[in-house]
Amino acid sequence: MLKVSKFRINILLLSLLSFSFSFPVMAELSSINDEEMSVISGQAGVYLSGEIALNENGGPIQNAYFGDCTDSKRCGARLAFQTKQNGGWFVLDDMKGSFSFQGLTLKVRDINSGFGGDGAKFNRQVLEIGLPDQIKVDKFQYTYATSSTARPSDAGFQQTDIYTVEIDGDITMQGNLLVFPTGSN
Amino acid sequence: MLSGKIKRLVTIGSVSAFFVCSAAKAELASLSDNELSSVDGAGIGMVFEDFVFNAVTDASNGQSFKISGIKSTKGEDVDITVSQLYIANAGSNYGETLNPVNLGRLVNPYEIELLDGNDIGLDDKAILQFAAPKKVAAGTGYDCVNASAAVNSGACSSRPAGTDATSGEVIIGERPDIGLKLQVQVGTNAPDSLSINAKSAVFDGSYLRLWGDDNKNQLVGEYRLNFYTPELSISSCDASGQSCGNTIYMKNFELELVLGNQFQPMSIGVTEAQDGTIQPGNFVFEIASIKDYADQKGYMANLPSNGLRSGCNGDTSCEGAWDFFNGYYTNPDFKSNLRIGAMHIGDISGSGQNFGSAKIEGMTIQYLKMSSHDL
Repeated sequence: MLKVSKFRINILLLSLLSFSFSFPVMAELSSINDEEMSVISGQAGVYLSGEIALNENGGPIQNAYFGDCTDSKRCGARLAFQTKQNGGWFVLDDMKGSFSFQGLTLKVRDINSGFGGDGAKFNRQVLEIGLPDQIKVDKFQYTYATSSTARPSDAGFQQTDIYTVEIDGDITMQGNLLVFPTGSN
Repeated sequence: MLSGKIKRLVTIGSVSAFFVCSAAKAELASLSDNELSSVDGAGIGMVFEDFVFNAVTDASNGQSFKISGIKSTKGEDVDITVSQLYIANAGSNYGETLNPVNLGRLVNPYEIELLDGNDIGLDDKAILQFAAPKKVAAGTGYDCVNASAAVNSGACSSRPAGTDATSGEVIIGERPDIGLKLQVQVGTNAPDSLSINAKSAVFDGSYLRLWGDDNKNQLVGEYRLNFYTPELSISSCDASGQSCGNTIYMKNFELELVLGNQFQPMSIGVTEAQDGTIQPGNFVFEIASIKDYADQKGYMANLPSNGLRSGCNGDTSCEGAWDFFNGYYTNPDFKSNLRIGAMHIGDISGSGQNFGSAKIEGMTIQYLKMSSHDL
């Protein structure tokens, strides 16, 4: 079984124009020695655990709107997108917090039975994503808003904050997600 | 400016609008004829196997799930705590017992697919579709509402738990119980709790289609929500969950909601500058006017004066206009329906009341525009 060690992604503060955004990613994979390598067959799939943290200590931009999480200014990431050319923007603002999980699995599975008779009719392979059972959420929050401009620093900026969601603690998510191609081949 | 200033949204639908739009990009590029000819409805199927979702607020375990930032008309903060949000197999006893459920079937899954617009009345467009399991021919599937429906009883594909008659295999069921329990506090008033539960829910035949409109330079779409449940219940209690009012039960609840169609696409956007009376930065939801489409096609100018097809006296453009409107008003795909088999207030085996059945059928939206406003 291939084991991918804990990875951590910091998504820095984003101020975005449409969907064209980039976020620096820091990933760290530990090396495995020959002895560990010798028992890896690669057939049992992949087991992942990880943590994704967003702007725990604010992002690189600090100005009249964005702060460093120690003052009253916003320090979370901002994602803006528009559905109309030259229109206003839907915004996910002040996104911050982290998720961690253990036991997300990926493997290819041959299904030819089960599923109340559907398995035999289906009789194909699927990609099975095993959900991690529990996802630990650490003070994740975002504000949903609509705004006249993509950036708070743009001229004519007006924003309507609609609601803020805050989640903390464990969320149960059990089961497998089976993914496969459909339609005529 | 208005940064950080929180205002009240006076229209509904922003939550669904967010989900609708978060998955979408501004404009879909059209495909060439050559590319279109190779589009055959291929997509990605997804089935959740043995699925359970549960998010709760439990202060003793450090778990919380809150929605804030909403104001009442008096300007007081409205804090919503999501006490529980769950998806689990039917028989959950309102979220108490969470057993795994399947969502979608391997032979009829949830799908993300690319459609050829020429097949669905949208010429020369590529359509991105998110679809729940499709309905099947009437009488070959399962009754959509009955939680113990047998095969060949209806048009829904998702099955209740049971045994497959052909293979003898156990069906764990593809009809989840879904529930949301909220605690709502307005200002410093004592919080109230509100609980909404749907048993054995079926979404078969629902879809969201998205494409780009060249004239509006905007992402537009068509949304159909089919939601069937043998029991939708709404109850409110005080914060401790005690002294509850009577629960409202809607038995055999069927909602078939149609927002937009190929003639009247729906659009969701945000104003950038002053738009009539709407200030910049406000949310606008619109379903295009059928009259605009008919004007554009010249149908309005060619209708017979007496409203009858025979009044066209053989004029083909007149008959075309009459046929268009006749088709528009008779096509069941363009109509929304709501049927409630029986509405009960309280437990009717005790002192509750039965208000009987209610139906709203054949509702057509000719034009709709909703927007948020600053107060």
